[in-house]
Amino acid sequence: MTARLAMRLLPLCLGLACAPTLAETIAIVDAKIYTMTGGAPVENGTIVMRDGRIVDAGANVEVPAGARRIEGRGLVVTPALFNSATQLGLTEVSSVGATNDHGISEAPLGAAFDIQYALNPRSMLIRQAEADGLGRAVSFPTSSGAAPFSGFGALLHLGGGAILERARFAMFADVGGQSSGRAGGSRSAQWQLIRSALDEAQALRIAAKPGTPRDSSFSRLDLMALKPVVEGAVPLVIDANRESDIRQAIALTRDYPIRVVVKGGLEAWRAAGELAAAGVAVILDPSINLPLYFDELGARADNAALLQRAGVLVAFRVNLSIHTTFNAGFALREVAGLAVANGMDHHVALAAITSNPARIWGVADKGGALAPGLDADVVVWDGDPLEPLTGIVAVFLRGREVSQATRQIELRDRYRPRTPAPALPPAYRGTQ
Amino acid sequence: MRAAIAACLLALAVPPAGAQAPESPRSALPGAEFLPSSYRPLPRQDVIIAGATILDGIGNRHDQSDILLQEGKIAAIGRNLPRPDGVRVIEAAGRWITPGLIDIHSHNGTYMLPIVYENPPTWDVAEVSSPNVAETAIEHAINAQDPAFGLALAGGVTTLQVLPGSVTLFGGRSVVLKTVPGRTMQDIKFPDAAPGLKMACGENPKGNFGSKGQAPTSRQGEVAMMRAAWQNARDYRDRWRRHGRRDADGERGGREPPARDLELETLAGVLDGEIRVHLHCYAADDIAVMLSIAREFDFRIAAIHHAVEAYKVPDLLAAAGTCAAVWPDWWGFKMEAFDGIRENAAFVDAAGACAIMHSDSPFIGQHLTLEAAKAMAAGRRAGLDISRERSIAWVTSNPARALGLDDRIGRLATGFNADVVLWSGDPFSIYSKPDQVYVDGALAYDRNDPERQPVPDLLLGHPAREAVR
Repeated sequence: MTARLAMRLLPLCLGLACAPTLAETIAIVDAKIYTMTGGAPVENGTIVMRDGRIVDAGANVEVPAGARRIEGRGLVVTPALFNSATQLGLTEVSSVGATNDHGISEAPLGAAFDIQYALNPRSMLIRQAEADGLGRAVSFPTSSGAAPFSGFGALLHLGGGAILERARFAMFADVGGQSSGRAGGSRSAQWQLIRSALDEAQALRIAAKPGTPRDSSFSRLDLMALKPVVEGAVPLVIDANRESDIRQAIALTRDYPIRVVVKGGLEAWRAAGELAAAGVAVILDPSINLPLYFDELGARADNAALLQRAGVLVAFRVNLSIHTTFNAGFALREVAGLAVANGMDHHVALAAITSNPARIWGVADKGGALAPGLDADVVVWDGDPLEPLTGIVAVFLRGREVSQATRQIELRDRYRPRTPAPALPPAYRGTQ
Repeated sequence: MRAAIAACLLALAVPPAGAQAPESPRSALPGAEFLPSSYRPLPRQDVIIAGATILDGIGNRHDQSDILLQEGKIAAIGRNLPRPDGVRVIEAAGRWITPGLIDIHSHNGTYMLPIVYENPPTWDVAEVSSPNVAETAIEHAINAQDPAFGLALAGGVTTLQVLPGSVTLFGGRSVVLKTVPGRTMQDIKFPDAAPGLKMACGENPKGNFGSKGQAPTSRQGEVAMMRAAWQNARDYRDRWRRHGRRDADGERGGREPPARDLELETLAGVLDGEIRVHLHCYAADDIAVMLSIAREFDFRIAAIHHAVEAYKVPDLLAAAGTCAAVWPDWWGFKMEAFDGIRENAAFVDAAGACAIMHSDSPFIGQHLTLEAAKAMAAGRRAGLDISRERSIAWVTSNPARALGLDDRIGRLATGFNADVVLWSGDPFSIYSKPDQVYVDGALAYDRNDPERQPVPDLLLGHPAREAVR
């Protein structure tokens, strides 16, 4: 399928299952299975996949006749990973401007900025992420022409073909000392802009008259974009780290009929009880134990563990340098491991990269766990998935095995040590 | 080497050259070291850590063994060591011991956290006023209160090299520090460690200066500027050598020494083998060119840092005796990192070259064994048989070698500095942590004793860090 054709097909997939064609029936037997449906992992369990869906998973599951049987003794099976904050599909080489589509700085698009049309399903980063066991990811916009709003993110489902699962599924905004400059220099202005935009979007719902409202700081396009937010259909994801901002985010849920998710959240542990009470989920990188900025003075290694204890719904992302997107799968399990090393329960950390994001982003009826009817997004590991020495045995997305032949692996195989050294230069090796 | 540095220190302490006839042409050059160290080991007690799995840093593993730390040195390793009176005994069955880790690429102390990017006064990673700032020394910019030092210590790092940034071709002198807390940089400066010279090739220098309309604007421009600088350094060294010879012969006594040039002095120190080159360089072509330039001017590059494509030319690195300091998994973020693979360190190691894992980050600098674990795992999946006892060298004895400190640190052997990490478990497991970290035989960090967990000034008194009631 050409990229052009894939882009044309994208709208057809919105909200629909883009079912793979003629997927075989696959059974993995005798493995340790983390179903992520609650309870302990199933030892010596079986999982059966067919037509892109899970038929069954657990103990005492029958293997259908004719199924491709994979011996799982000593192996571990989990749902595919889910990264809650990446720029997958929106970047190829960070330093090459023309390959980057994740943010804008000029009007006219503010909250209405929507990254869906830029998504590149043929990105080598996506191939790498799939090979590393990533099944779903949030791609979010980094900035728009009207701060503090960054615009609409997209929910991606990897595994071949179109990657866009849901466009306009969440609205993003940035608050705090690092971003306040674009709102005039004070985070108070950021909150005022968010509140007045929500007010006007609510009024827009009532008035619903065409034409830009008078005295508005926002374009009609941007207010229209916020309509699904004030109708509660789309969450407002607020990037904030300082406790005061996290509490302001919680306050929005009291003053408006909206769903709020906090992204960043390095001081979230300081408002853990309130976050839990307000049902505000937190997307965080649990490996950050050192304040990068003053907004993060309270950063500590057990942030995730403290949030777990308070009952906050948590999902992970990686916010360290290139890992956010270039290692969207590989680094995700590492930070989850560090969360466990710092007090979080193993199964909760695993949930924070599988089932919790599925709940937060509204696709728990499709994936994030291994249960009958859910997407057959399955990773087979040769050990604990959170350990760096553990490797991937196989990745199935939408019921089909994903190629491990990433660009990195092709380079590896070209340059792997050989005795005697080949006579011809590396360019003659591994050519297609 | 140590004697040469001591001689240079002396040269700084007394009125500079000319007053006395130097013994050799080499020591005619003024000092290789700028600021003296005021490091003193912390108070210490002899200790035996007993019954642990010991990775010695140079390829050996001792199961259920003891290690004796005596007067700051490693005194013995073996099973059931005698336990003299007055020696503290720590039972460590099930736990692991490694040498103190060495992070050869750190910006701690210059990249203060919390930082504010828009506030340049807080940032001292590099002097970028010219492509050649070899006269600068990063030790003049270190803030010893950077919280990253304490976190590195808690992560098992006992020695780190702080390097200037990579915007310039010649970035100035590096400094080797201990991670123990001190009031000033000099309090934590590693005594008698050779300074390094940070260099950079490839995209960063030409990207930075070229975008300002200044030279270099291309790789060829970078190399031309480097070669011109090395030639100047040769000439400078020759002037000092001639001056030294004349004085030594007693002819023309009282002749004025050549004018001192701090920039050329650093480069001449490299040519004399007293300053070690640490070169930021990603791509195979760039690495090959740089190794050739080093041959042309007869110096050695100690390590090529961020050598993302080292796996393509490991034979060149092995032949030059140059280490590759790498990440396991950084790739793609710029064109010269486009070809990064996770097996890089493993392939370099398999070719008989010296592989090192480095951090370049105060976060990664807390988890160097995990970096090694990822590279080891990738190498194993590519078919290489890499043991833990082998890959631990990537964060211990190999960086010690690149720093020229392999006679003192980086391995657990009798007579070596007692820089020792006691891990709660397998150091390559994400769940393991350093329980105790010893520096020169002194307990500098104890995970179970808040009184042995240093807190920098910067983190005191913040309500945001206090417990929530």
